Amino acid sequence: MFDKLFSDFKSDGFMYLIILAVIIFVCAQAAFFLRKAWTRGKELGIGTDKLKNAVTSSAMFSFAPAIGIAVTVISLSVALGYVLPWIRLTVIGAIQYETTAAIAALEAAGLTGGISSPVTDPQIFAEISIVMTIGSCLPLILIPIVLKKIQKGVSDVASKNSAWMDVMTAAAFIGLIAAFIGRGLAGTGSKDAGIIGDGAGVLSITALVASIGFMMMFTLINKKLKKNWIDALAMPLSMVLAMVVVVLLNQFAPELAAIEWRY
Amino acid sequence: MKTYMDKVHTWGRIWIIAALIFFLCIPVAICLHFNVTPRMDVVGKGLASIAFFFATGIIEVIAYSPMLGAAGTYLSFVTGNIMNLKMPCALNALENAKVKANTEEGEVITTIAICSSIIVTTIVIAIFVVIFAFNPKFSETMASPAFAPAFQQVTYTIFGSLAATYFVKHWKISIFPIAAITLLLLFVDPGIGVLIPVGVVLSMLGAHIMFKMKKV
Repeated sequence: MFDKLFSDFKSDGFMYLIILAVIIFVCAQAAFFLRKAWTRGKELGIGTDKLKNAVTSSAMFSFAPAIGIAVTVISLSVALGYVLPWIRLTVIGAIQYETTAAIAALEAAGLTGGISSPVTDPQIFAEISIVMTIGSCLPLILIPIVLKKIQKGVSDVASKNSAWMDVMTAAAFIGLIAAFIGRGLAGTGSKDAGIIGDGAGVLSITALVASIGFMMMFTLINKKLKKNWIDALAMPLSMVLAMVVVVLLNQFAPELAAIEWRY
Repeated sequence: MKTYMDKVHTWGRIWIIAALIFFLCIPVAICLHFNVTPRMDVVGKGLASIAFFFATGIIEVIAYSPMLGAAGTYLSFVTGNIMNLKMPCALNALENAKVKANTEEGEVITTIAICSSIIVTTIVIAIFVVIFAFNPKFSETMASPAFAPAFQQVTYTIFGSLAATYFVKHWKISIFPIAAITLLLLFVDPGIGVLIPVGVVLSMLGAHIMFKMKKV
């Protein structure tokens, strides 16, 4: 039964020991900060309901994107086995970077099959792990040096002109959201005709419109019912329902779903 | 006496330096385990191909840290998936708790949100990878044309939900960045790594002008 997990040298017992250590490290760090923040929250007089809501809402919210990340692990597993992509997407990594880094490393090693051909040489596998790790490490060096200064600068500005700072903070968030909304409206996909839904088109607009619609619906419902749990679950539920709409559209009207105006 | 924020920076630095050392040890351990010596030309060539990661890494630290809070930044950069997971998670938590970013209450709420997200994400990925590994048919289904396009849209469902909250509340300062980004994308698509800082700068610039004109 365990044959499939320990299928080759890329997924041997040693590699599983590494991912186990990574999971323990990451969860220990999160648990440490969670405890400190919770205690500080109580000292500041933030209600337990509010703190619990932050936990519930964030946990629910993370579920669907986490499955998306797991699917990326699978897409990289043909070339690299399960464990290395799993490690890379549990620490520092991001979906869009890891695939690019893996392809760059494979090509540097002279393998032209991309992520669809299995790596059979341990030396190349080790080189790929080095490239993928070093390529994403710079922020970990920068942050201990610059973060406190950045945060102090922000806090000084906030204390001098709080009205302006509130507008700027909202504007920064809106700029981030606008980048993704813009991509949904007019972003280009990977020119590969086989990939449906990576460029702006019917599916991206459906996802945007459905999630906005569901979120507004939950907001209106909560205005009437005034229940904390609706606030906490509104966003994860809107995401999941919007994804259901996308899947149904793709199933029942595949020709319409495949329309992309930017590919 | 050290404030809570001072302590957060001390804890954060210790954890992030430990993480850096730990993560760099992983490829070293792989080399030792397989008893192989990496070819520096191959590693150098691979790193040269992804040199833009270094530039985006610098931009990300400057652009995201004021929004993520101090502990949120230390945690998010260690665990990754910032744009598609940690950032929207923090924004959603701030909105639900009705507290401002860049306050100590905001710091506490974003920290709790990001920690919860990290723990759940780590567990869910582990469970699904094991399921996929044991059951290739399930992974084929998830990667099939029926489901794969839905996972391509996860990011849009995240930011659509956030947009419904933020744009309704701040519609005056939202129109310009969306219009400017969409217009830019009609001519060139620089990729989301560049598009985000561009969107943030344009949005802040537009909002600053409107603030000076007393329109917001």
